[in-house]
Amino acid sequence: MTTLTTWIVTLTVFQPLISAAIIALLPQAEKRLVRGWTFLSMFMNFGLTVLLYGLFDPKGPEFQLEQRLQWISDLGISYHVGVDGLAVSLMLLTGFLGPLVVLASWTSIENRVKSFHLALLLIQSAMLGTLASLDVILFYVFFEAMLVPMYLIIGMWGSEKRIQAAMKFFLYTLAGSLVMLVAILAVYFLAQPSGTRSFDYAAFYNSLAPANRELAACLAGKAASCASMSPLAKALGVYGPWMFLAFAVAFAIKVPMFPVHTWLPDAHTEAPVAGSIILAGVMLKMGTFGFWRYAIPLFPVAAQQMRVAFAVLAVVGIVYGAMMCLAQTDVKRLIAYSSVSHLGFCMLGIFALTAEGAAGSAYQMLNHGVSTGALFLLFGFLYERRHTRNIIDFGGVARTMPVFAALFLIITFSSIAVPGTNGFIGEFLVLLGTFKSTKVPMWLAVLATSGVILSAAYMLWIVQRVFFGPVVQVENARLRDVNGRELATSLPFVVMVLVMGVLPGFFLDRLETSTRRYVARAQVGLDVQQRDEDTRVTVLPLSSPTPVAALPAGTSDQR
Amino acid sequence: MLTLPTLTSTDFLPLWPALILSAGACLVLLSEVFLSSASRSFQPLLTVIATVLGALVAAATVFSVPTGVFGGFVVLDPFGSLVSLVICIGVGLSALLAPAFLRGRQAERGEFYALLLFGGAGMSLLVLSNELIFLFINLEILSIATYALAAYLRRGPRPAEAGFKYFILGAFSSAVLLYGAALLFGATRSTLLPQMGAELARIFTDPTLSDRQPLAYCGLALIGAGFGFKIAAVPFHMWTPDVYEGAPTPVTAMMSAAVKAAAFAAMVRVFLVLGRGIPGDALLTGFSTLAFLTMIGGNLLALPQRNVKRMLAYSSISHAGYLLVGVASLFVKSGTTKGGVLGVTALAAGATPDTAGALRGILFYLLAYTVTTVGAFGVLGALERRDDEVRGFAWDLDRLAGLAQRKPAWAVAMAVFMLSLGGIPPMAGFMGKLLIFRSAVDAGLVGLVIVGVLTSAVGAYYYLRVVVYMYMRPAPEAGGLPERNLSTELALVLSTVAVVVLGVLPGITGTWLSRGGSVFLGR
Repeated sequence: MTTLTTWIVTLTVFQPLISAAIIALLPQAEKRLVRGWTFLSMFMNFGLTVLLYGLFDPKGPEFQLEQRLQWISDLGISYHVGVDGLAVSLMLLTGFLGPLVVLASWTSIENRVKSFHLALLLIQSAMLGTLASLDVILFYVFFEAMLVPMYLIIGMWGSEKRIQAAMKFFLYTLAGSLVMLVAILAVYFLAQPSGTRSFDYAAFYNSLAPANRELAACLAGKAASCASMSPLAKALGVYGPWMFLAFAVAFAIKVPMFPVHTWLPDAHTEAPVAGSIILAGVMLKMGTFGFWRYAIPLFPVAAQQMRVAFAVLAVVGIVYGAMMCLAQTDVKRLIAYSSVSHLGFCMLGIFALTAEGAAGSAYQMLNHGVSTGALFLLFGFLYERRHTRNIIDFGGVARTMPVFAALFLIITFSSIAVPGTNGFIGEFLVLLGTFKSTKVPMWLAVLATSGVILSAAYMLWIVQRVFFGPVVQVENARLRDVNGRELATSLPFVVMVLVMGVLPGFFLDRLETSTRRYVARAQVGLDVQQRDEDTRVTVLPLSSPTPVAALPAGTSDQR
Repeated sequence: MLTLPTLTSTDFLPLWPALILSAGACLVLLSEVFLSSASRSFQPLLTVIATVLGALVAAATVFSVPTGVFGGFVVLDPFGSLVSLVICIGVGLSALLAPAFLRGRQAERGEFYALLLFGGAGMSLLVLSNELIFLFINLEILSIATYALAAYLRRGPRPAEAGFKYFILGAFSSAVLLYGAALLFGATRSTLLPQMGAELARIFTDPTLSDRQPLAYCGLALIGAGFGFKIAAVPFHMWTPDVYEGAPTPVTAMMSAAVKAAAFAAMVRVFLVLGRGIPGDALLTGFSTLAFLTMIGGNLLALPQRNVKRMLAYSSISHAGYLLVGVASLFVKSGTTKGGVLGVTALAAGATPDTAGALRGILFYLLAYTVTTVGAFGVLGALERRDDEVRGFAWDLDRLAGLAQRKPAWAVAMAVFMLSLGGIPPMAGFMGKLLIFRSAVDAGLVGLVIVGVLTSAVGAYYYLRVVVYMYMRPAPEAGGLPERNLSTELALVLSTVAVVVLGVLPGITGTWLSRGGSVFLGR
């Protein structure tokens, strides 16, 4: 049992990679075999994430199922993986989407099938690794490693402007994360001025937290505490905002927040169905996850100082994304902009700093993965039949494809947060948290609420234009309804929408500890932290504490 | 007067790699004279064996006790041994690329391999040189071999242009370096680096010797400029694209990997040993400026290139810039609170600079860059055809179009090299950059590191463009592919594996490189 709990995370992360190695050995021509094997591996991976989710104890410590091994020991980099409530939930989402993505592209990908599935499996490993990393460099490596297969998926199997979109996606994200790398290095030296340094998350957080407290006390007006601040707290006062911004920009690009969202409509629109589902379903969450895990807990004071600015940007994203949706003529672009709007809710919840806001934000991350993933999937079915993305090319589709229309409508309800669907729970909690928040102005919450109305407007309007009305184009009269495979791919989404809408407690339980810890950590910057919450991260010692071979005696440093 | 030191067997220890490489070169030359052309096909194999033996010997000396030999002219230290090892790897991989390339151009002759090995011998001696005249001689040995190699394919205007340009500018830079050495000799009355360092310290502290200070500064600046040419740092980079483009591709691989590693190591040694006595931030400012210009210049100039070989030449300039960031971080003095070209250094105020860490970073970067760049030039060389070279589009991006369908394995290898050059994890290039930037941030050169990461993002664009052509563009109709060649493919496999392994498990070099970084003789 202990072996299982030690290795389960590693196994989940690397199982797709091992399957990819096997794919690489299969012959190029065996398309069915490649597809079947990938589906099977993804399904096994889903099983592993379910097992992981089950093994995670909602009442247990914050980080569970940890494993820490030597990696690059002389730089203080270790292979440290483990999950908290948010990570394990997002890993479940990643695992859930995996097999469905393979099914979704069963017939739409016909050329270079082997490379495509290789890329899918690689990206799966990288995404799971990003979520499971508890070492900052390990996180960075996985975070960047996601880019290359995604770039290939967009660039090799996308539509007309795919190369441009892939390049934009890659360069945007890379530029952001490289700036973050500088901040990571700066924290590494700043927070650990002497002794053995480490890139471990616990080391980063635990060394910064006391300094952040001192600084927050000083900024809160306790003048006496300013004089006695430690050098680290003083340095955080000067460089903290810059380092926070370096982290925040990297993650804001990934989310994407207004105004660095411009890569997203292109990437989503040009990507093949599988690429859009993965991008919207999981990859965007790496941004919100990054804020939640790294940017805000490490620099709560700086985050406080910029909170209103980020909350304003989040609300601008909500409203602007929704307005852009109303103006789109291209279905995929519309869904892409709706992501900007929905992720705005996640960011607002994160910056509201209330338990409800944070829980709603976390729940919204899961919801968005399910509902937007499903929207891209369902539109993918239509695109395969009609090969057009223009809204005006459709109309009256409900007459020829009634089952499809029903599926689409349910997902639409989830997307516009109709009670009884998952979207309602998430958006409601976020708005509740924002209204309760004393630190985010009330008018922002009011504006954000208008986003809910706008989303109903654009989603219902597109449903009306695509599914109802007269059949204008003859092609639409000859459409066949969804087949068995397509139904099998979309039903899990519908089930999830309803289950998450009716039984939110099951999922929120596992998010609880991590939400509470997040809020407590972020409140360090407010100097109003609840007394009973210990924000420190438990340090896991290396499992094999053998240091690197020391220099042979007698040949010591001769400088 | 002149007393010859008695030579012991330890004195020859550092020379073994050079001796083995030279012996290999002599064997190749002898076989050229005495054997018929049909029975000389073992020459590449002989070359590779010589480099492998050289590498093994160099590796064996890493853990021997560091000493100065030949009256201090030559040092045996782990830093030098490790760079020799990198040089042997670079020369060996380049030699593996040569047979197919030369056969395609009916230019299979032993001189090529002999020159390669003689150049390698010069390089491995250069990094061990601890005396300016000895250093200059070794620099010339390697340079002359490389001039000849650059112009090796005599037919056609490009090789002649490349060889001539390289020779003129190389000779010019050698002269600049020699002039600097002469001025420094004038100031310090010595050519042995440690003695010069001590004397320089005296010059800068003793007020009665202050009239020698201008001489010392001029000498150092000229030596720096001379090395600047050799490592292709902006603004001394003008020759690089033309020479890299015109030279036979295996030679370009050797130049951008081994020659660059040797020149960098020699430069680091000279300035580390001399720099001890130089006050203030003179060296830090100098190297930071050079790094700043080189990173920006190299990346911006590479951006518009459609010619992949020229792009790789500019990319090699930009990588010299990243290495120079590591070199600059060697010269941050403890207690320095400001300095560096951008003035953002207050992070590590008062901390002791971690020279060992910076040296280790440089060593790792040299190793990672060597395996990557040789591989990249290897793929390119295998794809070019003689008749296209004359018209100049042998290295156009179109040449790589659709490579993923035509030669999937090569496309994967090239993509790995491009990602590594772009510093994308989990490739070796990322770990190299991480190590270099780590020591630079430690030294407080945050401004320089920010420039470094931003230019890396620029760099990703042109490296990815190669991937775009290989994976996302259709193959041309008439795309003749070279026939399979065992040695080329061996070189590509070895470099690809090395790039990935160094990227995923950089720790395997840990003990070696940290020894190379911490045990540096002569300071």
